[in-house]
Amino acid sequence: MATLELDSITKTFQDGDEEIVAVDDVSMSIDDGEFLVVVGPSGCGKSTTLRMVAGLETITAGTLSIDDRVVNDVKSQDRDIAMVFQSYALYPHMSVRQNMSFGLEESTDLPDEEINRLVSETGEMLGISNLLDRRPSDLSGGQQQRVALGRAIVRDPEVFLMDEPLSNLDAKLRAEMRTELQRLQNDLGVTTVYVTHDQTEAMTMGDRIAILDGGELQQIASPLKCYHEPANQFVASFLGEPSMNFFDVTLDGNRLVGDVFDYPVADEVRANLGQTTDLVLGIRPEAIELVERKSDAHEFEMTVDVVEPMGDENTVYLHFDPDADPDVAETLVATIDGFTRVSEGDSVVARIPEDAIHVFDRLTGEALHNRSMEDAADQVDLV
Amino acid sequence: MSDTKPRTDGGATTTARLRRTLDRMTVEDAGLYVVLLFAALFYIVPIESGLVTSFKTGTAIIETAPFAPPGPSGFTFEKWQTAIDALLRGMGNSLLYAVPATVISAIVGSITAYGLTIPTWKKSYKAVVLMLIIAGIFIPYQAVLVPLTQFWSQWAQLDQVLSFVWALGVSNDYAGIVELVITHVAYGIPICTLLFRTYYKTMSEEMIESARLDGATLRRVYRRIVLPLSGPMFAVVLIYQFTQIWNDLLFTLVLVSTESSPAAPVVLILAGLGTSLEGQDFALRMAGAFFAALPTLAVYIFFGEEFAEGVAA
Amino acid sequence: MPDFFRRLHRTISPSSGDDESEVRADGGVVSDGPTADAPTEPDRDATARLKAALDRRFGSDFMESSIFWLPPFLLMGLFVYGAVIWNLLISLTDYQRFENAPDYSDLDFEMYTRALADSGFIDAAVNTLILLLLFTAGTLMVGLLLAILIDRGIRFENSFRTIYLLPMSLSFVVTAQFWLWIYNYNNGIANSVIGTFGLGPVSWLGNQDIVLYAIIFALMWQFSGYAMVVYLAGLRAIPREHYEAAKVDGASTLKMYWRVIIPQLKGATISAAVVLMVFGMKAFDFLYSLTGGYRPPNGADILATKMVREAYANLNWAYGAAIAIVLFGMALGVIGPYLVYEYRRDNL
Repeated sequence: MATLELDSITKTFQDGDEEIVAVDDVSMSIDDGEFLVVVGPSGCGKSTTLRMVAGLETITAGTLSIDDRVVNDVKSQDRDIAMVFQSYALYPHMSVRQNMSFGLEESTDLPDEEINRLVSETGEMLGISNLLDRRPSDLSGGQQQRVALGRAIVRDPEVFLMDEPLSNLDAKLRAEMRTELQRLQNDLGVTTVYVTHDQTEAMTMGDRIAILDGGELQQIASPLKCYHEPANQFVASFLGEPSMNFFDVTLDGNRLVGDVFDYPVADEVRANLGQTTDLVLGIRPEAIELVERKSDAHEFEMTVDVVEPMGDENTVYLHFDPDADPDVAETLVATIDGFTRVSEGDSVVARIPEDAIHVFDRLTGEALHNRSMEDAADQVDLV
Repeated sequence: MSDTKPRTDGGATTTARLRRTLDRMTVEDAGLYVVLLFAALFYIVPIESGLVTSFKTGTAIIETAPFAPPGPSGFTFEKWQTAIDALLRGMGNSLLYAVPATVISAIVGSITAYGLTIPTWKKSYKAVVLMLIIAGIFIPYQAVLVPLTQFWSQWAQLDQVLSFVWALGVSNDYAGIVELVITHVAYGIPICTLLFRTYYKTMSEEMIESARLDGATLRRVYRRIVLPLSGPMFAVVLIYQFTQIWNDLLFTLVLVSTESSPAAPVVLILAGLGTSLEGQDFALRMAGAFFAALPTLAVYIFFGEEFAEGVAA
Repeated sequence: MPDFFRRLHRTISPSSGDDESEVRADGGVVSDGPTADAPTEPDRDATARLKAALDRRFGSDFMESSIFWLPPFLLMGLFVYGAVIWNLLISLTDYQRFENAPDYSDLDFEMYTRALADSGFIDAAVNTLILLLLFTAGTLMVGLLLAILIDRGIRFENSFRTIYLLPMSLSFVVTAQFWLWIYNYNNGIANSVIGTFGLGPVSWLGNQDIVLYAIIFALMWQFSGYAMVVYLAGLRAIPREHYEAAKVDGASTLKMYWRVIIPQLKGATISAAVVLMVFGMKAFDFLYSLTGGYRPPNGADILATKMVREAYANLNWAYGAAIAIVLFGMALGVIGPYLVYEYRRDNL
């Protein structure tokens, strides 16, 4: 068990004469036993960050400490970490048992019987006892995944590192393993850093999530906080499916003036915006309500462009001007109850509730006003 | 490895292809096979005519076409008998250096390639070492012959170093065999390294990283992960290296004095076989050529795939 | 130079610009708690520090991995590059006959001027170039043709491939015997084949104007299988879609190969050409075995044979060494650009 501290970690690669910054001044501290998910689009530097923690990449600048011990120059094998790779990286010429024993044999002086006992125990915990004498090539993808996990667990390391460990599994198995991994991590209580590009994994698994983009840390907070109180427009757009609606607006008094609509805001919201006038208005699709008839300035008459029924809910694409070319008109995406009957071409009234809006600085992307989490989720235990 | 041969067929595609071929057998295709057969003939005939000639008597050589079988009256084993008598001792000598040199250079090549491929150190420095090694493959050996002779005759006089061996009754000409082993290993390192390197480059990086995170040192990673997985490449390298060393004439010529030496390798004896003042005895030469080529032919016939892989790399 | 030493110093010091903490470390004083200014735990051992410094300079595994590659590299370097340099030195002396060792006190270029004045050397050099160019070009063409034919999805592909590659497994010494027999004036196949067309007989190995080409032909026979294997690997790497796309675009088979497929074989051509040229330079074994002696048939002397003959038959060691250096230069002219090309393509 250990804490993990990244202090201004930077990684640059030399590409010919060019210097490419892969990870830019990232700081985060991970508590003992915490499950941190690092998420971001491909090329955001999340894997590089993880590999620096593992000691597989050198650290260009900054310090990395495990339990207050600076480990920048400590070799991988001396950092007491275990890593699960996307490809599982099992040793093809060894049986499952040998795969799992390897780390203990190499890193400890334990006698063979003790190693055997530990391997058998771990195998039982993961439900792979019956596979111990098989070769990796005889196993299914899901079984290989478990072996890779078992290989990490049996070492009982200070820190677990996982690099997209579930992305080679099919959707159903992935969902199962998600739950199982969480349960295991909970039982073992080992500090875990988990890298993924999948926002579902990020939202469901982590105690906290760290969102990276362009090598920079965008936000590190609990999943719900990131979702409801995003630090900036990138985080807001990255989390959530369908993505948050954004409209470029200009502040004029107490009104947000867009190309096709005006949106009045209350003084409390206005106060958060300060002097900035070039803004972006954001609203999550599920916050939009369809109402009977327009009765206040936060409601807009719109035309239904496309309806995508998802079963439990419908994703509805709306636009403001019924005559506009649907390809260019500003579209509003709303998620509504699956039983609400709407169809293409219908005229509807959409309500954009003021307590659910987000306002961002158009220039910096920084969030100036977020919906309040207390309103958003009153029964959720907040961090 | 699978992505290096993207179109290696499974059984299904083979049958599909076969059916397709039969369905669409056109004049053009027939022409293709004729061309291929003629080409095959071109490659086979020199070898075939050598083989039949080796069984011919002197008169049969003159009377029958070079590629025709000798016929019952012109058939003889005599030349093979003579060739085997002359070459057998050379065969033994060749094995004496070809086998150890092959095995050692394969092992050393594997270790070198591992050190230059799997561990992480700066690419630009690695590239310099690799360039020097790869260039070593292509150096014409003539450029090192005179120093090599100097080295073995003046500097490292194995003759004297190994005097305790000669005391056991072994001819001191066999110092040449030891020199050949060392020389072939030194000049074999580059190609063996390159062959192993192409193989190690295809190994999963994550697997190696995983082993290192598991606490294994570089030495242990080699012992427990890389070496056990190198089997297929060892087959390729051993076969390639054996063929090269067995077939090489230049070093033997320079390091082992003469074909009359008790330590003379088979290539050296063969080069002079069947030449005398009365002219050339072709039947004897052919028999000798085939006898000397037996080991490499056997290797080729049994391990053709590996041989092709070795030369193509 | 001062700059070099400063860099060296910086390389060796674990934390630049922090001399004080270093001194403390050397003095053996244990500093407790996290030292904010020194990123590593202070090394007390100078060699350990040097090792760490080297690792930082060359990459994290440099020192640990050197045990694997350095000794073989040194052995190889000594035998290859050490010997080439030594050879260069010898070529500058007058070393000959039964002298035990060259006299290195008097170095000059006499051997090289002697070579330029030696018509035998000039002939050998010209022959070497002809052999290199014709042999390489011819072998590549035959190999490409075979590879394309074999890659057309034929049956017995493996058998054909095995036959075409068969000569490659044989020693020059062995194949030389076969070709001696083929080129035999009275009973050889070569003469019986052209005889059916009413030509010949030709003294293939006796006629000075023909012998070189006869030898090139024999070498092509031996090596075109190799070129075929290399091209086949290249062809197999081209996705099937390229053939199909060209077909859909209405290209004829010939056009498809010429415009779509062959341009993609550039890499295979280059690497095969380099290997073939180097083999061509080493054609010594074949020529030696044709006559069973240091003197190849008249008109077929090349630098490789002349070098060995001068050194080992005539005992003109220094002169042989000089010829070897010329040969080495030729090889370098081929290998150098090739290695740069491979490095640029990140293929090393």
